[in-house]
Amino acid sequence: MTLLRDIASELFGMFVADARLSGAILLLVVLVAALVATLGAEPLLDGGLLLFGCLAILVAAAIRGARPH
Amino acid sequence: MHAVSWGVASPAIAAAFAASLVEVVEAFTIVLAVSTFRGWRPAALGTFVALCVLGLLVVAIGPLLELIPLKALQLTIGVLLLLFGMGWLRKAILRSAGALPLHDEVAAYAAETEQLSEEAKRKHTSLNWIAGLAAFKAVLLEGLEVVFIVIAVGAGRGLLWPAAGGAFAACIAVLAIGAVIHQPLSKVPENTLKFGVGVMLSAFGVFWTGEGLGVEWPGADLSLLVLVAAFLATGVATATLLRRSAAEAAS
Repeated sequence: MTLLRDIASELFGMFVADARLSGAILLLVVLVAALVATLGAEPLLDGGLLLFGCLAILVAAAIRGARPH
Repeated sequence: MHAVSWGVASPAIAAAFAASLVEVVEAFTIVLAVSTFRGWRPAALGTFVALCVLGLLVVAIGPLLELIPLKALQLTIGVLLLLFGMGWLRKAILRSAGALPLHDEVAAYAAETEQLSEEAKRKHTSLNWIAGLAAFKAVLLEGLEVVFIVIAVGAGRGLLWPAAGGAFAACIAVLAIGAVIHQPLSKVPENTLKFGVGVMLSAFGVFWTGEGLGVEWPGADLSLLVLVAAFLATGVATATLLRRSAAEAAS
């Protein structure tokens, strides 16, 4: 049972090491998906939003992580 | 493989190789501690059984992936890669900026040896069994990440075998060096590798997620290189900025 718990915790930690980072990424993907569904696929707009959204999320997560607790 | 450009294939192989190198080095440290504690037999047996389980996992998951429509597969893998890759990249940025301590293989080796000794004292089970189980768990848990990375960077474009080849090459490299020096591989620039892998996985994540959502990237596969450059530049700039502000705050 300990082994199964360790595997589950490893899998969870792989994708949700920082809950706010993971939440922001999922929110961005939903936003881009909604944009594609309503306005149709615009490569520069959708791709650009996805890329720059991810970069902004990454920078914000790193700055938050570097703050003294 | 013939329909896949090197623009996608080489980052996939490099990402699988570098990520596996990081994970195999960590698993090797524990296996080495086990073999020092109880000899090579339980260490080798635990490693072998874990590799068999991981192999079965790949054999079981591989055919299942073929049943999923390509767009859904690309979107699922893309999102998982974003979650995993950006998590790695964030941690690598923080380590590079000095906000998190670097992973220390020598300390990990000492901690594992101590834990094995304590467990041996506490439990009255066979020492070989405890040692074998420790090696099994280490290889299985680190191997899970390798399996995910190989599937994630390989499945979207039929690159499973080249990516698996990259991971296998990393295993051979670590085993060969480890067999010669017989010490924890503390000189491997783990954070630099993690930084690079985080950059590549994040770029793959944006690429596959976009493709899964129906985005046609300008320049097709070549846009992956632009995504890699964007994540690399942002990661390096953020780490530099954080390092500078920490130095200014300290002075």
